[in-house]
Amino acid sequence: MDFQSCVNIQKEWDIVGARQLGRDRAKSIGFGTVDQARIATAISELARNIYLYAGTGKICFETIDEMSQKGIRIIATDNGPGIRDISQVMEDGYSTSGGLGAGLPGVKRLMDQFDIVSNPGKGTEIKTIKWLR
Amino acid sequence: MNINLEVEVVNQESSALVSLTGEIDAYTAPKLKDALLPLTKREGYLVEVNLDKVTYMDSTGLGVFVGALKSTKEHNSQLKLVQLQDRVLRLFEITGLDSIITIDSTVRGGN
Amino acid sequence: MDTLKLDLENYRELLKQYIETQDESSLYQVEQFSKMSMQQKISPEEIVNAHIHALRKLYPELPAEVNTSFDFLLESMISYGLAYQEFQALREKQLELKSEISVAASMQQTLLSTVRPQVKGLDIGAVSVPANQMNGDYYHFVTDKNETLGIAIADVIGKGIPAALAMSMIKYSMDSFPESQRNPSSILGNLNRVVERNVDPSMFVTMFYGLYNPSREVFEYSSAGHEPGFYYNASIDKFEEIKTKGLLLGVTNDATYDQFEIKINNNDMIILLTDGVTECRIGDRFIEREEVLSVIKQYTHLPAQEAVEQVYKHFERLQDFQLRDDFTLIIIRKEV
Repeated sequence: MDFQSCVNIQKEWDIVGARQLGRDRAKSIGFGTVDQARIATAISELARNIYLYAGTGKICFETIDEMSQKGIRIIATDNGPGIRDISQVMEDGYSTSGGLGAGLPGVKRLMDQFDIVSNPGKGTEIKTIKWLR
Repeated sequence: MNINLEVEVVNQESSALVSLTGEIDAYTAPKLKDALLPLTKREGYLVEVNLDKVTYMDSTGLGVFVGALKSTKEHNSQLKLVQLQDRVLRLFEITGLDSIITIDSTVRGGN
Repeated sequence: MDTLKLDLENYRELLKQYIETQDESSLYQVEQFSKMSMQQKISPEEIVNAHIHALRKLYPELPAEVNTSFDFLLESMISYGLAYQEFQALREKQLELKSEISVAASMQQTLLSTVRPQVKGLDIGAVSVPANQMNGDYYHFVTDKNETLGIAIADVIGKGIPAALAMSMIKYSMDSFPESQRNPSSILGNLNRVVERNVDPSMFVTMFYGLYNPSREVFEYSSAGHEPGFYYNASIDKFEEIKTKGLLLGVTNDATYDQFEIKINNNDMIILLTDGVTECRIGDRFIEREEVLSVIKQYTHLPAQEAVEQVYKHFERLQDFQLRDDFTLIIIRKEV
C-alpha cells in the first residue's frame, strides 16, 4: 500500500477531511490510539496553516514500508506567500495566531522527522514523518 | 503591576482635549502614546492635555510628551499641558522640558 | 515521546487502590507518579491513555461510550501537552538569557568601573546599585595633574540593557574630549550632541558634571536636567539644594548649559544623587525631598563611604528590599 492520497485544502471543513484521512491511514499502518491522535493533530496544524495563510494547498499521505521500519509521511504544500524567516516561525514562543504550544514547533514535537522548504512568493512545502515503534 | 491609565479624548473644531487619569509609567506610556500621537498629526490643531488626575509620571512619560512635541513641530500643530500636579510639574522643571513644552502652571492639579 | 516509559501497570494499581479506598495516600502516590512522568517528558495524552487501559482491564463491562469519551478527552489533551513542552523549552531559554545578561553585566562593571580617587583634603564616598542586573545610572571620577577632581553623575532614562549600552557610549565619548574642553558647561554641550545623534529618540540622559578646584577651593558645575543635589554649609549647619537649570541630554542638538560655582569651606559637603533615591515609595506614597534629606542627615557624621552605604541600606529597607530604580549617591566632604 504505497500509494499517495491527498486532500485539497480550500475551506475550513477540508481540515476535518484531512484529519480523517490521515488518522485512517495511520490506523491501517498500525499506529496506536495515542499516536493516531498525535498524527491527526499534526495534520490539523499543517492544514490550518494552509487555510489561514496560504488560501489553498494540499495535504498528502504516504505509507513508508521498508525493511527496518514502517511509518507515515505527511506532505503539506501550498502556493501561498511563503515564509520569509523560517527560523523565526520555528522558534518557541513565536505565534501569529495567538495560541500556545502548537504551530510548526508543535508539529515537529508530535512527529519524528520534519523538513520545510519555503520561499517568499514561491509557497511552502513541509514533509514530516512519524515512525511506528 | 496593574496600574491603570485612563485616556479620554474630546474632539472639537480645531482642538482636542485629552484628559488623563492615573499613572504614566513604562506600562501605561504606550497607551498614552497611541492616543496622543495621531492627534498631533492634524495640521493647525491644538492638543491640550489635562493632567489634573495624573498622580505619578516617570521618565517614560516624559519620552511620550517629547515625542508628541516633536510631532507637533513636524505637523504644524500645538501641544499644551495643563493642571499638572506638583510632583509631575517638578519633573518637567528639573529636566528643563518646561522651557520647550508649553505648560500652563497657573492652575495646579490634584487635591 | 515514548509510550513505553509510562508504567501502565503502576497507574492501574494506584487507580484500583484509590477506587477501593478513596484515601489520601493514593492521591499522594499518584502525585509522585505524575512528577516522575513529567521528568520523563510523558505528556498528558499518555496519562489519559493509561487511564483508558486501566479502565478496560479493571471494568471490562463498562459501556463502550465511556471508553469513547476518553478517546475524546485524549485528543483534547494533546494541545495542553504541546503547550507544556513549549513552556519547558522557553524556561531553559530564559535561564540561558539570564546568564548571558550576567556576563554582560559584569563586562559593564569592568568597562565602566571608576575608582574612588584619593584626593588630598577630600573624603569621598560613592554607592551605585542597579534595580536589575544592568545599571542605567553612571558616575565617574576624573583626576588630573592639577589635582582638580571632575565628577560626573548620570541617569539614562529607560532601564536595562539599552540604558546600560547608552551609558557605555557616553563614558567613551567623555574620555575622548580634548583637555581644553573639560569645563562642565562644554562637557555637557558636547555630550548633548553625542547623545542626540546616537541614542534612540525615545531615550534621554540626565547628567550633572562638577569640577572641584582645590587651589581655589571652588566647585564649578552644570546640570542637564539632573535631579538636584545638596550642598552642606558647615559654618551655618544648613543643607541647601544645588539649584541649576539645563535641558536633559539628547532632546535638541544645540542645547547650552549654564555653569555655576560654590565656594567650598572646611567640613562643607557636596551630595549628589539620581532619582532612584528621590523616587522612593513609602507604602502608598512617595518620599518627599525633605525626608530624603533627613535620612541623609542621620549618617553624614560618618566617614563619607560609610555614610553612603548606610543611607543606601536605610532606603533599601524602606522599600522592602526591592528597588524600583537604580540608586546612586555620592558624598564629598572637605576635610580639615
